[in-house]
Amino acid sequence: MAISKRTSATKTVAPKRVPGRPERPFRRSADGAVLGGVCSGVARRFGVPANTVRVFTVIGALFLGVGLALYVALWIGVTRRGEGESIFARTSSDKREKEILFVVSIAVITLLIALRTLGLHALGLFLWLLTLSALEGLVAWRGCSSDEREHLRDLANSSVLKATTNSDGWQGVAIRTGVGVVLALWGISLLSRVGYEQGAAAYVLVGAAALVLGLFVLFAPWWIRTVRDLSYERRARLRAQDRADMAAHVHDSVMQTLSLIQRAADNPAEVTRLARIQERDLRIWLANPEAFGTSTNPPTLLAQSALEIEREIEDNYGVGVDVVVVADIALDESICALLAAGREATLNAAKWSGAKDVSLYIEAEPGQVSMFIRDQGRGFDMESVPDDRQGISRSIIERMNRHGGTAVIRSSPGAGTEVELRMPRRPDTA
Amino acid sequence: MSAVALPRVFLVDDHALIRAGIRAELAGHVEIIGEADQVPAAIEMIIERSPDVVLLDVHMPDGGGLAVLEGVVKTNSDVKFLALSVSDAAEDVITIIRAGARGYVTKNIEGPELVEAIIRTAGGDAVFSRRLAGFVLDAFSSKDLPGATTPPTLDPELDQLTPREIEVLRLIARGYAYKEIAVQLDISIKTVESHVSAVLRKLQLSNRHQLTNWAAERRLL
Repeated sequence: MAISKRTSATKTVAPKRVPGRPERPFRRSADGAVLGGVCSGVARRFGVPANTVRVFTVIGALFLGVGLALYVALWIGVTRRGEGESIFARTSSDKREKEILFVVSIAVITLLIALRTLGLHALGLFLWLLTLSALEGLVAWRGCSSDEREHLRDLANSSVLKATTNSDGWQGVAIRTGVGVVLALWGISLLSRVGYEQGAAAYVLVGAAALVLGLFVLFAPWWIRTVRDLSYERRARLRAQDRADMAAHVHDSVMQTLSLIQRAADNPAEVTRLARIQERDLRIWLANPEAFGTSTNPPTLLAQSALEIEREIEDNYGVGVDVVVVADIALDESICALLAAGREATLNAAKWSGAKDVSLYIEAEPGQVSMFIRDQGRGFDMESVPDDRQGISRSIIERMNRHGGTAVIRSSPGAGTEVELRMPRRPDTA
Repeated sequence: MSAVALPRVFLVDDHALIRAGIRAELAGHVEIIGEADQVPAAIEMIIERSPDVVLLDVHMPDGGGLAVLEGVVKTNSDVKFLALSVSDAAEDVITIIRAGARGYVTKNIEGPELVEAIIRTAGGDAVFSRRLAGFVLDAFSSKDLPGATTPPTLDPELDQLTPREIEVLRLIARGYAYKEIAVQLDISIKTVESHVSAVLRKLQLSNRHQLTNWAAERRLL
């Protein structure tokens, strides 16, 4: 005690580091923790063996539960080693946590007062302290860091508790049977005492609860194992199903493509086309397996429609279409016209330019949607194009103009072609 | 690009087939000083040999390219990384760039383009594929997501692109090479490169919260 006073005094006066004296801030232990690391933290702070503190804590806990309440209070109030703030600080800065806590406290206190009114004085202070500890424990569980929660989870899965929920091992069976029988007997004895006594119902309630708890302890392992096995089995089945789906899909599409490629081995253009289709297929499928193959209805979004253009041109002309979309938006009539014009320009490039790839770039800005179709193929002289191409160019330009947009085609022999399409957006969709 | 000092390249990819293909395409243009198909081995060998450029596969077991990058940068931040992947998912691209890669190209890139990208990376410049340029334009222009609760910490220096940078990015996204961009905008190639490097810096340092949200939300394409 004397030590504690002295160090806390020096701490407030001189928070600076004193040379030669090891700094020992009061922190809950993170590595040497049995439960919350309070005992080990106290031990380190005051330089006493951790187990001594633990023994005193257990004695204190048995003595009217004071030790337990104190232990959990320190758990909440003292910062864990390596963390920035205590559980209390964390909880009190979170409005939702505080509300949950408030509601639970009110409910528990109401229950206790109800029991008291029914005449259950016997449990008195012990019950209150036990309730307080339980509430504090709730705070600790909800407010602890993920690292600490991991520790607590490990604890819950550790040997002692495992032994009580597993049927194997004589210790587990002994502990479980002992606790279960005691609780059940206590419950039965409380229930059997009901007479013409005021407030007997309280004993009935507590007795029934004890009986149920006792039976639960006795039969929990069997029940828990059944539930666990069921959920394992279900998860395993789901995984197997996923694997089967994946295998089926890969088998269907890739194997078929591979055999097609083998058959077309002497036709590089066809091989490229097949490989491209397969690659796109797999990419879309991997990105979103659920939606794959289900969208038979026409696309409603810009990026989707662009992918449609990519698919159509690649499948039919063996030319790669590389689509980049900036800002996806919903389609409307004028944007559909833009896409139709863009599709025509892409088709044009795929058919005539001789380039292996066509770049498609679409950007939706607040005021307009622009689309650029570029190839690095042979290009053409705008003045002396054959009539059929002139017709296509003209149809693109006319289509755009009809909907209030513009189209510009830039090309020169040997330098490729770029078609620039711009469509203003209607104000309500902008 | 003189014959004296070819860039020293280290190859990280878990597929032997891909490594062989890349080796064949790069032969004579760069010096390949090693290759690895596992994350821990890659980290160890890259630190030991300190290559100019690491060609990094994004998808590998044990954390993938990201783990390699983070493992190396801790001890040697001079090594430059060029990410190479089949995946075009925004999340992958943005994550690896923000972790420190100098560029991102897809595996279907043509041999000469890849060589150019490596030389550019070795010279300290950024390498933007069309798609990466599109991602950046999208991410930096998109309005705040409706679900976002905290206002973006707008540092105008880092969180916005200059009009010129946007112009350069648009041209990249439209499929223009740096040379063509220089001609189109009537600036030097060096200036184009410095614009792209500036965008890369913003992409890596900006704490625009949309950037990550945006990438996570954008699954397709």
